[in-house]
Amino acid sequence: MTDRQLEEKLALAVEHAAPDQLESILSRCADRSGVVIPLRKKRPFARMAVAVCLALLLVGGGILGFYLRQQSAVASVVSLDVNPSIQLEVSQSEKVLTARALNAEAEEILRDMPLEGTDLNVAVNAIVGSLLRHGYLESLSSAILISVEDADAGRAARLQESLSSEVGLALQNAQSGASVLSQTVAQDASLNSLAQENNVSVGKASLIEAIRAVNSSLSFSDLSALSVEELSQMAAAGAGQLPIGRSEAERIAREYAGVGDTTAVVCEVDAELDERTPHYEVELKLSIGEFEYAVDAYTGQVLRGQAGILAGAGDSGVLSPADIGAEAAKAAALSHAGVSADQVSSIWAKRDYEDGRLEYEVEFWVGSTEYEYEIDAATGQVIGFDHEQDGAESGASTGDIGLEAAKSAALSHAGVSADQAAFTSTKRDYDDGRLEYEIEFWAGDTEYDYEVDGSSGAILKSEAKTHAAASSGDIGAEGARDAALSYAGLSLSDITGLKVERDYDDGRLEYEVEFRSGGREYEVKIDGSSGVILEYDMDDD
Amino acid sequence: MLMILGTLADAGAAAPDQLEELLLDIAAGDREALSAFYDRTRRSVYGLALSYLKNGHDAEDVTQDTYVRVWDTAPGYRPQGKPMGWVLTIAKNFALMRLRRRGREQDLPQEDWESLAVDSPAVTAEDRAVLQAALGALDDQERQAVLLHAVSGLKHREIAEILELPLPTVLSKYHRALKKLRKQLEGGDAL
Repeated sequence: MTDRQLEEKLALAVEHAAPDQLESILSRCADRSGVVIPLRKKRPFARMAVAVCLALLLVGGGILGFYLRQQSAVASVVSLDVNPSIQLEVSQSEKVLTARALNAEAEEILRDMPLEGTDLNVAVNAIVGSLLRHGYLESLSSAILISVEDADAGRAARLQESLSSEVGLALQNAQSGASVLSQTVAQDASLNSLAQENNVSVGKASLIEAIRAVNSSLSFSDLSALSVEELSQMAAAGAGQLPIGRSEAERIAREYAGVGDTTAVVCEVDAELDERTPHYEVELKLSIGEFEYAVDAYTGQVLRGQAGILAGAGDSGVLSPADIGAEAAKAAALSHAGVSADQVSSIWAKRDYEDGRLEYEVEFWVGSTEYEYEIDAATGQVIGFDHEQDGAESGASTGDIGLEAAKSAALSHAGVSADQAAFTSTKRDYDDGRLEYEIEFWAGDTEYDYEVDGSSGAILKSEAKTHAAASSGDIGAEGARDAALSYAGLSLSDITGLKVERDYDDGRLEYEVEFRSGGREYEVKIDGSSGVILEYDMDDD
Repeated sequence: MLMILGTLADAGAAAPDQLEELLLDIAAGDREALSAFYDRTRRSVYGLALSYLKNGHDAEDVTQDTYVRVWDTAPGYRPQGKPMGWVLTIAKNFALMRLRRRGREQDLPQEDWESLAVDSPAVTAEDRAVLQAALGALDDQERQAVLLHAVSGLKHREIAEILELPLPTVLSKYHRALKKLRKQLEGGDAL
């Protein structure tokens, strides 16, 4: 069953299950009385309204001036801390006067988000949204600290209450299990300057001082490097000593794993300082699988995890554990099936780490039979296999022109010669009993997509898309493709299913490049003018 | 195959401007428009509600509430090119409110068909198997990601916005969900 078929079944099931409730709904809808604002038209009196406002300003300058001044006086200071530290100065009418990022991570959060003049609630929601998008509040032990500093204690308490529930709601909507901590902070000049000196918010400074009250041997600046999560866990567990910190924990885990500094590894660190054995959980994601480590929060000892997962890794980040290699795995599968390589069309192998064992999944077609194999990567032994005769016979499919003929058919239809074309994907498939070849190739800046009937050579489907060529300030589709490939360490011949999309996002030119290789799907987002990699995502197919 | 998907999945995802036209008419009090809007989008709303609530009756209630709310708040809707996202967010919030009312959500083993409470006569044996698999074998996010994709035809990026999850999470949950579903429905012998 293909993915598409699975989804169709799901959609069908939901279709059947969903009742038609139109009558009940309509009966609950109250008639609209009067005319509602037609959003399509621009307000005809908008211009007049502005003129009136201006006149008022000129005439009532004095009174208006005072009113305005009052509006811009800072009534409360609201800080939001996770790792990023953000400080908002808020007016009496709960509008944001200034929004300040207190560390580099916070700058990323506030980027392209002009908050001045917005309602406090709206601003806080936007910030939480940005935090979530950047992955800050994902795990159950994450925490966000909301601090309100206000000379008026009553207002401080009220703001603390309403912001906490607002943020709590936003987190719940996003299905984040993160906790919301909140506090009111008394206005204190010395606390303010301490906070400023150490680039933390007043709220975080207050929390740090609370910890130092318990254990004065810990220095303010050491503590300010920790996240809110770590600080609150420490406060809860009785701040014995300074934990090693998340980046140190990551470094230790990488070293233990024998992975070093290679960026080919994606790392996630989670502080668990309030558990019976305080530790950091470090997750390392490599191309061969995911590995978890527990590092003691104070001693740095590795409590749990696999040592030296790589044997003899070079600095290029090439990973090579005990492994027969993809070619040997394919050969093992073929010999088990009693098939020779030339009888086979479209064979692929994917390396995977499953149940603590490295294996290869090999798939290939012989005629209309699909073979699937699991091969032990260390020994080459066959762990499992499956042969599947492709289903529906429509009776129309006899003969097979072969891949080369199909390619020629596509090329000639496109008016492109073989040496002009770079093939990115060729697939032989049965669709409703009919043999088809799916062929994708690039010629210059144009991407071609073809479906060729496997028995007659007729063109079933053709698509051509000419991408942007390179120009100044635009690396072009080919440039984007090459940037993505080189970042992934792959060449054009290693990949299939290449797609390049050009887009403007928030006024910035971007390219999205997608392709598959070795049974994985890659999605890369690239800055269209500089070629800098913005986002890189790799997923099992 | 693509054509079949077109009639099953809601057409809304493919024609956001048409949906927005309808919303403007709904804002002006046009019930025919609400009818048409309902017709184009109800599968997605029901599907999303079901993926959160795992219960047909609750999903029906939430679906109804959603459309009444669409009627009430359409005048305030600002056309931004994502009408589907707007409706589904309303549905999601209603679903979450209902979940909160149910109390702390336990991972109830929704294996028996009765507790699923989907009693529409159009449901076939295969539908039952598929829904039971989706509700029993998948975790919350896997279920939400795959149901929304199958039924609404929205892209993963838009789904990530509605579910308020990071895109890579939605992608991996979606793929894992398909894998698990396939295993469940094919009896687990396939590699």
